[in-house]
Amino acid sequence: MIEVNNLQKTFGKGDEAVHAVRGVDFQVDEGQIFGLLGANGAGKSTCVLMLATLLAPTGGSARVNGFDVLEQPNEVRQSFGAALQETGLDPLQKGVELLELHGRLYGYDKATAKARAADLLETVGLSSDGGRRIGTYSGGMRRRLDLAAALIHHPRILFLDEPTTGLDPASRRAIWEEVSKLKSEGVTVLLTTQYLEEADQLADHVAIMADGVIAATGTPDDLKAGMGADVVDVDLADEAEAIRAAAAVGSEAKVVGNEIRISATDGPAVLARVMNQLREAGIEPKGVSLTQPTLDDVFLNLTDGGSDHE
Amino acid sequence: MSDHTVAPTKPASQATQIRLLTIRMLRKVMREPAVTIPNLAISVFFLFTYNGAFGSSGVTSFPGVGGNYLNFILPVTVLFSSISGGAAGLTLVADLETGYFRRQLSMPLSRASIVLAAILLGAIQVLVQATLILCLGLLMGADPAAGVGGALALLGFALLWGMGFAGYSVATGLKTGNAQAAQAATFIFFPLMFLAPVFLPMEQLAGWIQAIAKVNPTTYMLEAMRSVMIQGWVASSLIKGLVAAGIFATITLTAAVRVARSKTSRA
Repeated sequence: MIEVNNLQKTFGKGDEAVHAVRGVDFQVDEGQIFGLLGANGAGKSTCVLMLATLLAPTGGSARVNGFDVLEQPNEVRQSFGAALQETGLDPLQKGVELLELHGRLYGYDKATAKARAADLLETVGLSSDGGRRIGTYSGGMRRRLDLAAALIHHPRILFLDEPTTGLDPASRRAIWEEVSKLKSEGVTVLLTTQYLEEADQLADHVAIMADGVIAATGTPDDLKAGMGADVVDVDLADEAEAIRAAAAVGSEAKVVGNEIRISATDGPAVLARVMNQLREAGIEPKGVSLTQPTLDDVFLNLTDGGSDHE
Repeated sequence: MSDHTVAPTKPASQATQIRLLTIRMLRKVMREPAVTIPNLAISVFFLFTYNGAFGSSGVTSFPGVGGNYLNFILPVTVLFSSISGGAAGLTLVADLETGYFRRQLSMPLSRASIVLAAILLGAIQVLVQATLILCLGLLMGADPAAGVGGALALLGFALLWGMGFAGYSVATGLKTGNAQAAQAATFIFFPLMFLAPVFLPMEQLAGWIQAIAKVNPTTYMLEAMRSVMIQGWVASSLIKGLVAAGIFATITLTAAVRVARSKTSRA
Protein backbone atom coordinates (compact mmCIF):
# COMPACT_ATOMS: atom_id res chain seq x y z
CA MET A 1 0.00 0.00 0.00
CA ILE A 2 2.90 2.35 0.71
CA GLU A 3 6.26 2.00 -1.03
CA VAL A 4 9.13 4.31 -0.25
CA ASN A 5 12.37 4.14 -2.25
CA ASN A 6 15.47 6.11 -1.34
CA LEU A 7 13.29 9.07 -0.36
CA GLN A 8 15.23 12.26 0.34
CA LYS A 9 14.46 15.80 1.41
CA THR A 10 16.92 18.65 1.72
CA PHE A 11 15.81 22.07 2.93
CA GLY A 12 17.85 25.08 1.82
CA LYS A 13 20.95 25.15 -0.35
CA GLY A 14 24.75 25.16 -0.06
CA ASP A 15 26.23 25.55 3.40
CA GLU A 16 22.85 26.08 4.99
CA ALA A 17 21.32 22.92 3.55
CA VAL A 18 19.59 20.70 6.07
CA HIS A 19 19.33 17.05 5.06
CA ALA A 20 16.14 16.18 6.89
CA VAL A 21 15.63 12.83 5.16
CA ARG A 22 18.68 11.12 3.68
CA GLY A 23 17.51 8.14 1.67
CA VAL A 24 14.76 6.19 3.36
CA ASP A 25 13.32 2.86 2.15
CA PHE A 26 10.36 1.02 3.57
CA GLN A 27 7.21 -0.74 2.56
CA VAL A 28 3.86 -1.00 4.32
CA ASP A 29 1.58 -3.90 3.37
CA GLU A 30 -2.19 -3.68 3.25
CA GLY A 31 -3.81 -3.79 6.69
CA GLN A 32 -0.54 -3.24 8.53
CA ILE A 33 0.15 -0.65 11.19
CA PHE A 34 3.63 0.66 10.51
CA GLY A 35 5.29 2.69 13.25
CA LEU A 36 7.93 5.28 12.41
CA LEU A 37 9.69 5.84 15.68
CA GLY A 38 12.17 8.57 16.43
CA ALA A 39 13.10 11.63 18.46
CA ASN A 40 12.24 15.21 17.45
CA GLY A 41 14.04 16.15 14.25
CA ALA A 42 14.68 12.55 13.16
CA GLY A 43 12.80 13.16 9.90
CA LYS A 44 9.56 11.28 10.63
CA SER A 45 7.20 14.17 9.93
CA THR A 46 9.10 15.17 6.81
CA CYS A 47 8.55 11.62 5.49
CA VAL A 48 4.83 11.82 6.23
CA LEU A 49 4.50 15.26 4.60
CA MET A 50 6.14 13.92 1.45
CA LEU A 51 3.80 10.91 1.37
CA ALA A 52 0.84 13.27 1.93
CA THR A 53 1.94 15.30 -1.16
CA LEU A 54 2.53 18.39 0.98
CA LEU A 55 6.28 18.42 0.39
CA ALA A 56 8.04 17.57 -2.84
CA PRO A 57 10.87 15.05 -2.33
CA THR A 58 14.37 16.19 -3.32
CA GLY A 59 15.18 12.66 -4.44
CA GLY A 60 13.87 9.12 -4.57
CA SER A 61 10.24 8.14 -5.02
CA ALA A 62 7.17 7.06 -3.11
CA ARG A 63 3.90 5.39 -4.03
CA VAL A 64 0.72 5.49 -1.99
CA ASN A 65 -2.08 3.06 -2.91
CA GLY A 66 -0.15 2.41 -6.12
CA PHE A 67 -0.02 6.10 -7.11
CA ASP A 68 3.18 8.12 -7.42
CA VAL A 69 3.23 11.10 -5.03
CA LEU A 70 4.73 13.42 -7.65
CA GLU A 71 3.02 12.16 -10.79
CA GLN A 72 -0.50 11.42 -9.49
CA PRO A 73 -0.94 13.66 -6.45
CA ASN A 74 -4.74 13.89 -6.68
CA GLU A 75 -5.18 10.10 -6.77
CA VAL A 76 -2.87 9.90 -3.76
CA ARG A 77 -4.91 12.57 -1.94
CA GLN A 78 -8.17 10.72 -2.55
CA SER A 79 -6.56 7.53 -1.12
CA PHE A 80 -5.36 8.70 2.27
CA GLY A 81 -6.67 10.46 5.33
CA ALA A 82 -4.22 12.34 7.52
CA ALA A 83 -4.13 13.64 11.06
CA LEU A 84 -0.98 15.72 11.17
CA GLN A 85 0.88 17.16 14.15
CA GLU A 86 -0.68 20.58 13.72
CA THR A 87 -4.38 19.93 13.46
CA GLY A 88 -5.13 22.78 11.02
CA LEU A 89 -8.67 23.65 12.05
CA ASP A 90 -10.53 26.91 11.48
CA PRO A 91 -11.70 28.20 14.88
CA LEU A 92 -14.70 30.00 13.35
CA GLN A 93 -16.05 26.82 11.75
CA LYS A 94 -18.38 24.43 13.56
CA GLY A 95 -17.29 20.82 13.95
CA VAL A 96 -20.20 19.46 11.97
CA GLU A 97 -19.69 22.03 9.20
CA LEU A 98 -16.09 20.89 8.76
CA LEU A 99 -17.07 17.22 8.42
CA GLU A 100 -20.00 17.87 6.09
CA LEU A 101 -17.96 20.20 3.90
CA HIS A 102 -15.09 17.73 3.64
CA GLY A 103 -17.46 14.83 2.96
CA ARG A 104 -18.83 16.74 0.00
CA LEU A 105 -15.41 17.81 -1.26
CA TYR A 106 -14.29 14.16 -1.30
CA GLY A 107 -17.35 13.40 -3.42
CA TYR A 108 -20.40 12.55 -1.29
CA ASP A 109 -23.70 14.22 -2.07
CA LYS A 110 -25.24 16.52 0.54
CA ALA A 111 -27.41 13.95 2.36
CA THR A 112 -24.68 11.31 2.39
CA ALA A 113 -22.12 13.76 3.73
CA LYS A 114 -24.55 14.72 6.50
CA ALA A 115 -25.09 11.09 7.51
CA ARG A 116 -21.35 10.37 7.42
CA ALA A 117 -20.57 13.45 9.54
CA ALA A 118 -23.15 12.46 12.16
CA ASP A 119 -21.73 8.92 12.26
CA LEU A 120 -18.16 10.13 12.74
CA LEU A 121 -19.06 12.68 15.41
CA GLU A 122 -20.57 9.80 17.33
CA THR A 123 -17.52 7.58 16.76
CA VAL A 124 -15.17 10.19 18.23
CA GLY A 125 -17.60 11.16 21.00
CA LEU A 126 -18.37 14.68 19.79
CA SER A 127 -22.07 14.27 18.91
CA SER A 128 -23.20 16.92 21.36
CA ASP A 129 -20.37 19.34 20.43
CA GLY A 130 -20.67 19.28 16.65
CA GLY A 131 -22.80 22.42 16.58
CA ARG A 132 -20.21 24.48 18.44
CA ARG A 133 -17.41 26.48 16.88
CA ILE A 134 -14.07 24.68 16.87
CA GLY A 135 -12.52 27.66 18.66
CA THR A 136 -14.34 26.55 21.81
CA TYR A 137 -12.92 22.98 21.72
CA SER A 138 -10.25 21.66 24.08
CA GLY A 139 -7.00 20.23 22.72
CA GLY A 140 -8.26 16.66 23.09
CA MET A 141 -11.52 17.48 21.30
CA ARG A 142 -9.61 19.04 18.41
CA ARG A 143 -7.51 15.90 18.06
CA ARG A 144 -10.62 13.75 17.96
CA LEU A 145 -12.30 16.02 15.39
CA ASP A 146 -9.08 15.94 13.39
CA LEU A 147 -9.15 12.14 13.40
CA ALA A 148 -12.81 12.19 12.32
CA ALA A 149 -11.91 14.55 9.45
CA ALA A 150 -9.13 12.18 8.40
CA LEU A 151 -11.63 9.31 8.22
CA ILE A 152 -14.44 11.16 6.41
CA HIS A 153 -13.98 9.44 3.02
CA HIS A 154 -13.25 5.92 4.33
CA PRO A 155 -9.59 6.12 3.31
CA ARG A 156 -7.73 2.82 2.82
CA ILE A 157 -4.61 4.49 4.18
CA LEU A 158 -4.26 6.64 7.24
CA PHE A 159 -1.29 8.87 8.14
CA LEU A 160 -1.11 9.69 11.83
CA ASP A 161 1.72 12.06 12.70
CA GLU A 162 2.27 11.89 16.45
CA PRO A 163 -1.45 11.46 17.12
CA THR A 164 -1.13 11.37 20.89
CA THR A 165 1.67 13.86 21.59
CA GLY A 166 0.57 16.14 24.41
CA LEU A 167 -2.61 14.19 25.20
CA ASP A 168 -3.64 13.00 28.62
CA PRO A 169 -3.55 9.22 29.21
CA ALA A 170 -7.32 8.78 28.79
CA SER A 171 -7.41 10.57 25.41
CA ARG A 172 -4.33 8.63 24.34
CA ARG A 173 -6.01 5.37 25.22
CA ALA A 174 -9.11 6.42 23.23
CA ILE A 175 -7.01 7.15 20.13
CA TRP A 176 -5.22 3.79 20.52
CA GLU A 177 -8.54 1.99 20.66
CA GLU A 178 -9.77 3.78 17.54
CA VAL A 179 -6.57 2.89 15.66
CA SER A 180 -6.87 -0.78 16.66
CA LYS A 181 -10.46 -0.77 15.47
CA LEU A 182 -9.44 0.70 12.12
CA LYS A 183 -6.82 -2.01 11.75
CA SER A 184 -9.50 -4.64 12.28
CA GLU A 185 -11.41 -2.99 9.42
CA GLY A 186 -8.39 -3.46 7.17
CA VAL A 187 -7.14 0.14 7.10
CA THR A 188 -3.40 0.54 6.53
CA VAL A 189 -1.87 2.93 9.05
CA LEU A 190 1.43 4.81 8.99
CA LEU A 191 1.99 6.14 12.47
CA THR A 192 4.82 8.31 13.73
CA THR A 193 5.54 8.54 17.39
CA GLN A 194 8.12 9.48 19.97
CA TYR A 195 6.60 7.03 22.39
CA LEU A 196 8.08 3.56 22.38
CA GLU A 197 5.14 2.27 24.33
CA GLU A 198 2.83 3.47 21.58
CA ALA A 199 4.80 1.75 18.83
CA ASP A 200 5.06 -1.42 20.91
CA GLN A 201 1.34 -1.36 21.62
CA LEU A 202 0.03 -0.61 18.12
CA ALA A 203 2.55 -1.32 15.40
CA ASP A 204 3.04 -4.60 13.53
CA HIS A 205 6.23 -3.29 12.10
CA VAL A 206 8.54 -0.59 13.38
CA ALA A 207 11.24 1.50 11.73
CA ILE A 208 13.45 3.54 14.01
CA MET A 209 14.58 6.81 12.46
CA ALA A 210 17.56 8.86 13.54
CA ASP A 211 19.22 11.73 11.66
CA GLY A 212 17.14 11.26 8.54
CA VAL A 213 17.84 7.57 8.03
CA ILE A 214 16.25 4.36 9.21
CA ALA A 215 18.54 2.94 11.87
CA ALA A 216 16.68 -0.34 12.39
CA THR A 217 13.53 -2.00 11.20
CA GLY A 218 11.52 -5.09 12.11
CA THR A 219 8.67 -6.24 14.30
CA PRO A 220 8.84 -4.92 17.86
CA ASP A 221 9.78 -8.46 18.98
CA ASP A 222 12.55 -8.80 16.37
CA LEU A 223 14.04 -5.53 17.45
CA LYS A 224 13.99 -6.52 21.10
CA ALA A 225 15.48 -9.92 20.34
CA GLY A 226 18.24 -8.26 18.32
CA MET A 227 19.26 -6.46 21.49
CA GLY A 228 20.39 -9.60 23.27
CA ALA A 229 18.18 -11.52 25.62
CA ASP A 230 18.63 -9.64 28.85
CA VAL A 231 19.16 -6.21 30.29
CA VAL A 232 20.95 -5.48 33.52
CA ASP A 233 19.86 -2.28 35.28
CA VAL A 234 21.86 -0.91 38.18
CA ASP A 235 20.27 1.84 40.25
CA LEU A 236 22.66 4.43 41.68
CA ALA A 237 22.51 7.38 44.05
CA ASP A 238 22.58 10.08 41.37
CA GLU A 239 23.56 10.77 37.81
CA ALA A 240 27.18 11.62 38.63
CA GLU A 241 27.51 8.31 40.39
CA ALA A 242 25.91 6.59 37.41
CA ILE A 243 28.47 8.16 35.08
CA ARG A 244 31.32 6.92 37.34
CA ALA A 245 29.77 3.48 37.41
CA ALA A 246 29.48 3.37 33.63
CA ALA A 247 33.16 4.25 33.34
CA ALA A 248 34.04 1.42 35.71
CA VAL A 249 32.00 -1.15 33.77
CA GLY A 250 33.09 -0.15 30.27
CA SER A 251 31.63 1.04 26.99
CA GLU A 252 28.74 -1.46 27.00
CA ALA A 253 27.14 0.39 29.92
CA LYS A 254 24.80 3.29 29.13
CA VAL A 255 23.74 5.98 31.56
CA VAL A 256 19.96 6.38 31.82
CA GLY A 257 19.20 8.96 34.50
CA ASN A 258 20.37 7.55 37.81
CA GLU A 259 20.85 4.11 36.30
CA ILE A 260 23.31 2.31 34.16
CA ARG A 261 22.02 -0.25 31.70
CA ILE A 262 23.91 -3.14 30.08
CA SER A 263 22.47 -5.37 27.35
CA ALA A 264 23.78 -8.94 27.13
CA THR A 265 22.83 -12.41 25.97
CA ASP A 266 23.97 -13.98 29.25
CA GLY A 267 22.38 -11.71 31.84
CA PRO A 268 23.28 -13.57 35.06
CA ALA A 269 27.01 -13.82 34.23
CA VAL A 270 27.15 -10.17 33.24
CA LEU A 271 25.33 -9.21 36.42
CA ALA A 272 27.94 -10.99 38.56
CA ARG A 273 30.78 -9.36 36.63
CA VAL A 274 29.26 -5.88 36.88
CA MET A 275 28.78 -6.22 40.66
CA ASN A 276 32.46 -7.11 40.98
CA GLN A 277 33.56 -4.18 38.86
CA LEU A 278 31.46 -1.78 40.91
CA ARG A 279 32.76 -3.11 44.21
CA GLU A 280 36.35 -2.70 42.97
CA ALA A 281 35.57 0.91 42.00
CA GLY A 282 34.05 1.50 45.44
CA ILE A 283 30.57 2.17 44.12
CA GLU A 284 27.58 1.09 46.18
CA PRO A 285 24.52 0.26 44.00
CA LYS A 286 21.07 1.09 45.43
CA GLY A 287 19.36 -1.65 43.50
CA VAL A 288 19.92 -4.15 40.72
CA SER A 289 17.55 -5.77 38.26
CA LEU A 290 17.74 -8.21 35.40
CA THR A 291 14.98 -7.89 32.74
CA GLN A 292 13.94 -8.76 29.23
CA PRO A 293 14.60 -5.82 26.88
CA THR A 294 11.91 -3.30 25.95
CA LEU A 295 11.68 -1.23 22.78
CA ASP A 296 13.15 1.55 24.90
CA ASP A 297 16.45 -0.28 25.00
CA VAL A 298 16.50 -0.73 21.24
CA PHE A 299 15.74 2.91 20.77
CA LEU A 300 18.34 4.25 23.17
CA ASN A 301 20.89 1.93 21.70
CA LEU A 302 20.31 3.26 18.19
CA THR A 303 19.83 6.92 18.88
CA ASP A 304 21.38 8.13 22.13
CA GLY A 305 24.43 5.94 22.39
CA GLY A 306 24.47 4.94 18.73
CA SER A 307 28.15 5.79 18.24
CA ASP A 308 29.18 3.02 20.63
CA HIS A 309 27.54 0.42 18.47
CA GLU A 310 28.71 1.40 15.03
CA MET B 1 -28.54 9.70 -0.93
CA SER B 2 -25.86 7.10 -1.54
CA ASP B 3 -24.33 4.76 1.01
CA HIS B 4 -22.27 6.66 3.55
CA THR B 5 -20.57 3.50 4.80
CA VAL B 6 -18.51 3.17 1.61
CA ALA B 7 -15.90 5.49 0.17
CA PRO B 8 -16.91 8.12 -2.41
CA THR B 9 -15.50 7.25 -5.83
CA LYS B 10 -14.16 10.61 -6.94
CA PRO B 11 -13.83 14.12 -5.56
CA ALA B 12 -16.38 16.88 -6.18
CA SER B 13 -16.28 18.66 -9.56
CA GLN B 14 -14.31 21.88 -9.74
CA ALA B 15 -17.50 23.97 -9.86
CA THR B 16 -18.78 22.29 -6.67
CA GLN B 17 -15.40 22.73 -5.00
CA ILE B 18 -15.40 26.46 -5.73
CA ARG B 19 -19.00 26.87 -4.59
CA LEU B 20 -18.51 24.97 -1.30
CA LEU B 21 -15.21 26.67 -0.48
CA THR B 22 -16.66 30.12 -1.22
CA ILE B 23 -19.62 29.45 1.07
CA ARG B 24 -17.27 28.38 3.83
CA MET B 25 -15.25 31.60 3.49
CA LEU B 26 -18.39 33.74 3.41
CA ARG B 27 -19.51 32.15 6.67
CA LYS B 28 -16.09 32.83 8.14
CA VAL B 29 -16.22 36.50 7.14
CA MET B 30 -19.77 36.94 8.43
CA ARG B 31 -18.70 35.53 11.79
CA GLU B 32 -16.12 38.29 12.08
CA PRO B 33 -18.12 41.42 11.17
CA ALA B 34 -15.56 43.65 12.88
CA VAL B 35 -13.21 42.97 9.96
CA THR B 36 -15.58 44.17 7.22
CA ILE B 37 -17.74 46.88 8.80
CA PRO B 38 -15.00 49.56 9.14
CA ASN B 39 -14.27 49.55 5.42
CA LEU B 40 -17.93 50.04 4.59
CA ALA B 41 -18.14 52.83 7.14
CA ILE B 42 -15.16 54.59 5.56
CA SER B 43 -16.70 54.44 2.08
CA VAL B 44 -19.92 55.96 3.41
CA PHE B 45 -17.93 58.58 5.31
CA PHE B 46 -16.12 59.62 2.10
CA LEU B 47 -19.37 59.88 0.20
CA PHE B 48 -20.78 62.30 2.78
CA THR B 49 -17.65 64.37 3.38
CA TYR B 50 -16.53 64.77 -0.24
CA ASN B 51 -20.02 65.68 -1.29
CA GLY B 52 -20.32 68.01 1.67
CA ALA B 53 -16.96 69.67 0.99
CA PHE B 54 -17.17 70.05 -2.77
CA GLY B 55 -20.84 69.54 -3.62
CA SER B 56 -21.79 73.20 -3.41
CA SER B 57 -18.42 74.66 -4.40
CA GLY B 58 -17.34 76.08 -7.72
CA VAL B 59 -16.02 72.68 -8.74
CA THR B 60 -19.45 71.72 -10.03
CA SER B 61 -19.10 74.27 -12.82
CA PHE B 62 -15.92 72.62 -14.22
CA PRO B 63 -16.48 70.95 -17.54
CA GLY B 64 -16.63 67.18 -17.00
CA VAL B 65 -18.26 67.41 -13.58
CA GLY B 66 -21.69 67.91 -15.05
CA GLY B 67 -23.36 70.07 -12.43
CA ASN B 68 -24.16 67.32 -9.90
CA TYR B 69 -21.02 66.63 -7.86
CA LEU B 70 -22.63 63.56 -6.34
CA ASN B 71 -22.64 61.88 -9.78
CA PHE B 72 -18.97 62.79 -10.09
CA ILE B 73 -17.88 61.53 -6.64
CA LEU B 74 -20.08 58.42 -6.34
CA PRO B 75 -17.81 56.30 -8.59
CA VAL B 76 -14.86 57.24 -6.32
CA THR B 77 -16.59 55.87 -3.22
CA VAL B 78 -17.77 52.80 -5.09
CA LEU B 79 -14.18 52.24 -6.17
CA PHE B 80 -13.04 52.83 -2.63
CA SER B 81 -15.29 50.03 -1.46
CA SER B 82 -13.29 47.70 -3.71
CA ILE B 83 -10.49 47.79 -1.14
CA SER B 84 -12.73 45.38 0.77
CA GLY B 85 -11.74 42.83 -1.89
CA GLY B 86 -8.48 42.76 0.05
CA ALA B 87 -10.32 40.63 2.61
CA ALA B 88 -9.81 37.74 0.20
CA GLY B 89 -6.09 37.67 0.89
CA LEU B 90 -6.53 38.25 4.61
CA THR B 91 -8.98 35.35 4.89
CA LEU B 92 -6.48 33.08 3.16
CA VAL B 93 -3.68 34.29 5.43
CA ALA B 94 -5.88 33.40 8.41
CA ASP B 95 -6.21 29.90 6.91
CA LEU B 96 -2.44 29.74 6.45
CA GLU B 97 -1.94 30.67 10.08
CA THR B 98 -4.37 28.09 11.47
CA GLY B 99 -3.02 25.39 9.14
CA TYR B 100 -6.42 24.95 7.52
CA PHE B 101 -4.89 25.95 4.18
CA ARG B 102 -2.46 23.05 4.40
CA ARG B 103 -5.28 20.69 5.26
CA GLN B 104 -7.00 21.75 2.04
CA LEU B 105 -3.80 21.09 0.12
CA SER B 106 -3.76 17.50 1.40
CA MET B 107 -7.23 16.97 -0.09
CA PRO B 108 -8.02 16.14 -3.73
CA LEU B 109 -8.89 19.76 -4.54
CA SER B 110 -7.69 21.79 -7.47
CA ARG B 111 -5.30 24.57 -6.38
CA ALA B 112 -7.20 26.94 -8.63
CA SER B 113 -10.44 26.13 -6.75
CA ILE B 114 -8.92 27.18 -3.42
CA VAL B 115 -7.63 30.45 -4.87
CA LEU B 116 -10.73 31.23 -6.93
CA ALA B 117 -12.96 30.68 -3.89
CA ALA B 118 -11.00 33.36 -2.03
CA ILE B 119 -11.18 35.72 -4.98
CA LEU B 120 -14.92 35.17 -5.36
CA LEU B 121 -15.29 35.93 -1.68
CA GLY B 122 -13.49 39.24 -2.25
CA ALA B 123 -15.61 40.01 -5.29
CA ILE B 124 -18.85 39.28 -3.43
CA GLN B 125 -17.81 41.58 -0.60
CA VAL B 126 -17.02 44.34 -3.05
CA LEU B 127 -20.35 43.84 -4.80
CA VAL B 128 -22.31 43.99 -1.55
CA GLN B 129 -20.51 47.12 -0.37
CA ALA B 130 -20.74 48.80 -3.77
CA THR B 131 -24.47 48.10 -3.91
CA LEU B 132 -25.02 49.67 -0.51
CA ILE B 133 -22.97 52.72 -1.46
CA LEU B 134 -24.78 53.06 -4.76
CA CYS B 135 -28.20 52.88 -3.11
CA LEU B 136 -27.14 55.48 -0.60
CA GLY B 137 -25.85 57.71 -3.40
CA LEU B 138 -29.13 57.38 -5.29
CA LEU B 139 -31.07 58.30 -2.15
CA MET B 140 -28.85 61.36 -1.70
CA GLY B 141 -29.69 62.57 -5.19
CA ALA B 142 -27.33 60.94 -7.68
CA ASP B 143 -29.04 60.49 -11.05
CA PRO B 144 -27.07 58.30 -13.48
CA ALA B 145 -27.35 59.66 -17.02
CA ALA B 146 -27.47 56.07 -18.33
CA GLY B 147 -30.34 55.22 -15.97
CA VAL B 148 -30.82 51.89 -14.22
CA GLY B 149 -28.58 50.15 -16.75
CA GLY B 150 -25.89 52.67 -15.89
CA ALA B 151 -26.19 51.91 -12.20
CA LEU B 152 -25.81 48.19 -12.96
CA ALA B 153 -22.80 48.91 -15.17
CA LEU B 154 -21.28 50.74 -12.23
CA LEU B 155 -21.67 47.60 -10.10
CA GLY B 156 -20.23 45.45 -12.89
CA PHE B 157 -17.12 47.61 -12.94
CA ALA B 158 -16.86 47.45 -9.15
CA LEU B 159 -17.07 43.64 -9.31
CA LEU B 160 -14.38 43.34 -11.97
CA TRP B 161 -12.10 45.79 -10.19
CA GLY B 162 -12.79 44.03 -6.89
CA MET B 163 -11.76 40.68 -8.38
CA GLY B 164 -8.54 42.26 -9.58
CA PHE B 165 -7.89 43.67 -6.18
CA ALA B 166 -8.80 40.37 -4.49
CA GLY B 167 -6.37 38.56 -6.78
CA TYR B 168 -3.65 41.01 -5.81
CA SER B 169 -4.32 40.50 -2.11
CA VAL B 170 -4.43 36.70 -2.46
CA ALA B 171 -1.10 36.70 -4.31
CA THR B 172 0.64 38.90 -1.73
CA GLY B 173 -1.06 37.10 1.18
CA LEU B 174 0.05 33.66 0.02
CA LYS B 175 3.50 34.90 -0.92
CA THR B 176 4.20 36.45 2.48
CA GLY B 177 2.00 34.20 4.61
CA ASN B 178 1.76 37.05 7.05
CA ALA B 179 -1.31 39.09 7.97
CA GLN B 180 0.55 42.35 8.56
CA ALA B 181 2.47 42.08 5.30
CA ALA B 182 -0.71 41.27 3.38
CA GLN B 183 -2.46 44.23 4.99
CA ALA B 184 0.46 46.53 4.23
CA ALA B 185 0.46 45.41 0.60
CA THR B 186 -3.13 46.63 0.20
CA PHE B 187 -1.85 50.18 0.74
CA ILE B 188 -0.83 50.17 -2.92
CA PHE B 189 -4.49 51.05 -3.32
CA PHE B 190 -3.84 54.61 -2.15
CA PRO B 191 -1.29 55.76 -4.74
CA LEU B 192 -3.35 53.94 -7.38
CA MET B 193 -6.44 55.74 -6.18
CA PHE B 194 -5.17 59.23 -5.59
CA LEU B 195 -2.82 59.58 -8.55
CA ALA B 196 -5.93 59.67 -10.69
CA PRO B 197 -8.61 62.31 -11.41
CA VAL B 198 -10.40 61.59 -8.14
CA PHE B 199 -11.78 64.92 -6.98
CA LEU B 200 -11.29 66.97 -10.11
CA PRO B 201 -11.54 66.25 -13.83
CA MET B 202 -8.27 65.26 -15.54
CA GLU B 203 -7.77 68.69 -17.14
CA GLN B 204 -7.67 70.41 -13.73
CA LEU B 205 -4.87 68.23 -12.30
CA ALA B 206 -1.25 69.36 -11.98
CA GLY B 207 0.94 68.35 -14.90
CA TRP B 208 2.95 65.66 -13.10
CA ILE B 209 -0.16 64.03 -11.66
CA GLN B 210 -1.74 64.08 -15.10
CA ALA B 211 1.29 62.27 -16.50
CA ILE B 212 1.00 59.51 -13.88
CA ALA B 213 -2.78 59.39 -14.09
CA LYS B 214 -2.57 58.66 -17.81
CA VAL B 215 -0.84 55.31 -17.14
CA ASN B 216 -2.86 54.49 -14.03
CA PRO B 217 -5.60 51.91 -14.74
CA THR B 218 -7.73 53.50 -11.99
CA THR B 219 -8.12 56.58 -14.20
CA TYR B 220 -9.83 54.57 -16.93
CA MET B 221 -12.03 52.72 -14.43
CA LEU B 222 -13.13 56.02 -12.91
CA GLU B 223 -13.76 57.65 -16.27
CA ALA B 224 -15.81 54.69 -17.47
CA MET B 225 -17.92 54.78 -14.31
CA ARG B 226 -18.31 58.55 -14.53
CA SER B 227 -19.35 58.38 -18.14
CA VAL B 228 -22.44 56.33 -17.25
CA MET B 229 -23.22 58.69 -14.37
CA ILE B 230 -22.73 61.99 -16.19
CA GLN B 231 -22.87 61.48 -19.96
CA GLY B 232 -24.83 58.27 -20.63
CA TRP B 233 -23.52 55.40 -22.75
CA VAL B 234 -20.13 56.35 -24.19
CA ALA B 235 -18.59 53.35 -25.92
CA SER B 236 -15.01 54.60 -25.94
CA SER B 237 -14.96 55.29 -22.18
CA LEU B 238 -16.58 51.94 -21.37
CA ILE B 239 -14.15 50.00 -23.54
CA LYS B 240 -11.12 51.71 -22.02
CA GLY B 241 -12.46 50.99 -18.53
CA LEU B 242 -13.14 47.36 -19.34
CA VAL B 243 -9.70 46.87 -20.86
CA ALA B 244 -7.95 48.50 -17.88
CA ALA B 245 -9.92 46.48 -15.28
CA GLY B 246 -9.65 43.31 -17.38
CA ILE B 247 -5.87 43.55 -17.70
CA PHE B 248 -5.52 44.31 -13.98
CA ALA B 249 -7.72 41.34 -13.02
CA THR B 250 -6.02 38.95 -15.45
CA ILE B 251 -2.56 39.83 -14.15
CA THR B 252 -3.46 39.50 -10.47
CA LEU B 253 -5.51 36.30 -10.89
CA THR B 254 -2.68 34.66 -12.82
CA ALA B 255 -0.22 35.71 -10.13
CA ALA B 256 -2.51 34.35 -7.39
CA VAL B 257 -2.85 30.90 -9.00
CA ARG B 258 0.91 30.80 -9.69
CA VAL B 259 1.80 31.56 -6.08
CA ALA B 260 -0.67 28.91 -4.85
CA ARG B 261 0.89 26.28 -7.13
CA SER B 262 4.44 27.08 -6.05
CA LYS B 263 3.29 26.97 -2.43
CA THR B 264 2.11 23.39 -2.81
CA SER B 265 5.03 21.84 -4.61
CA ARG B 266 8.01 23.41 -2.85
CA ALA B 267 6.90 24.61 0.55
